[in-house]
Amino acid sequence: MGCFSENFRLGQNSVSARLIFVLLLCPLSTLCVAQSIDADRPVPLLTGNAGFFTNVVGGQTQLVPEVNPVILLPLGDRWLIESRGEFKGEFERAAPGAPYGGTVDKELDYLQADFIANPYVTITAGRFLTPFGIYNERLYPIWIRALQPTPLIFPIGTGSSDGLMLRGGFPLSSKVNLNYAAYFSTLSTVSKFESDRTVGGRAGVFLPGPRLEVGVSWQKLLQEERSNAIGFHFAWQPSLVPLNLRSEFARSNLGSGYWIEGAYRLSQLTFWKKAMRRTELVARAQQLFAGKIDEDDAEEYGIPDVNTREADFGLNYFLHDGLKATASYGRQFSSDGNFNLWTVGIAYRFIIPLGRGGGQ
Amino acid sequence: MRFRLLILMVFLALAVFSGFADSRKKERANLPAVSTHVDDGSVRIEGERRFHANCGRCHAAPQKFPPRVMATVVRHMRVRATITDEDMRYILRYLTQ
Repeated sequence: MGCFSENFRLGQNSVSARLIFVLLLCPLSTLCVAQSIDADRPVPLLTGNAGFFTNVVGGQTQLVPEVNPVILLPLGDRWLIESRGEFKGEFERAAPGAPYGGTVDKELDYLQADFIANPYVTITAGRFLTPFGIYNERLYPIWIRALQPTPLIFPIGTGSSDGLMLRGGFPLSSKVNLNYAAYFSTLSTVSKFESDRTVGGRAGVFLPGPRLEVGVSWQKLLQEERSNAIGFHFAWQPSLVPLNLRSEFARSNLGSGYWIEGAYRLSQLTFWKKAMRRTELVARAQQLFAGKIDEDDAEEYGIPDVNTREADFGLNYFLHDGLKATASYGRQFSSDGNFNLWTVGIAYRFIIPLGRGGGQ
Repeated sequence: MRFRLLILMVFLALAVFSGFADSRKKERANLPAVSTHVDDGSVRIEGERRFHANCGRCHAAPQKFPPRVMATVVRHMRVRATITDEDMRYILRYLTQ
């Protein structure tokens, strides 16, 4: 960002803020159109997830409460305003025997207006999750992710962007679906709306029969070193066994690496059936090859600055719809030192209708 | 600035070119509406199959919610998970039966 003058920054922020404001206001005009009340009309929702985790990282205990509220506001037949915030505490003991203390991070993950233009294109404007790989958009919520620690390569190409995006999914044939996202993001240094000036996209091919998806992501940074990031993703759910395989590879100037994860539901076991079908075993292997970044940048992006390997094993028990208990053990290997990561906690997904007709 | 305007124009041109004027009528004409309470087993089976193929890749089936709640959730997931329009309609039908 050093190559940008302060005036240019302010000008960009001002234009970006106005653009986002106007684009978010556009759908409100549809409120003026009378709508017929029927049983299918979508109702505004307050949804999201909440969780509480205890992590032991290298012998240091952390208490991590987390709430991620999501507001969904459908307008008419084609519009959706959606937003997600993140409130995450990280509390540790400053000294043995001292009380737990720490901070609560507050983030705005997305605040976007979606216009479903047709079966092939949805136009999104505002602040949105950067579509790079599959973890950021699909697997990040704590009630969805199979292992609570995020992958080592997660900071590459992800986060949030402020700008405009086209996305959609459509069948290429009866056996092949194509999904895509293309976006432009502007530079913003506005608090809670920080983003880089980037352009990028993601495309995936999904075969519904074998439940197999492969895809590629690309991102070009249009500031500073104008670097590229590229990623590949893979997901497979074989129909014969309750197994969920996922993998991502990413490469950028921050580093490169991969993760591969398998989650197996024990529903095929013939004993303790009720408990077994609620139980999931997870394993993940991952490796990161550090890029040429200094220690400060590594800390800012949350990515190791030395080559790192990690193996994780987890157990999830689904107590109820949207409520799961989770535990995992991992070990990280790097030249900075090897250490264990223990996690135990509970995650809950809630849905609260905010309008008439949302009750049972 | 010119590059940003160019990108913006490309986005908008693509959206206009895609011809969204009459797409809604076409999509509604071909697939089951949510409120159709006809017990069509084949539609339900197809909806279940599409639910497991699309949604089941990330999470388990949710409990039953009222149709108006599911309509919002499915619209959200259509955008988030880039589910096809046809899949979305079958899944919505399956989840609200």
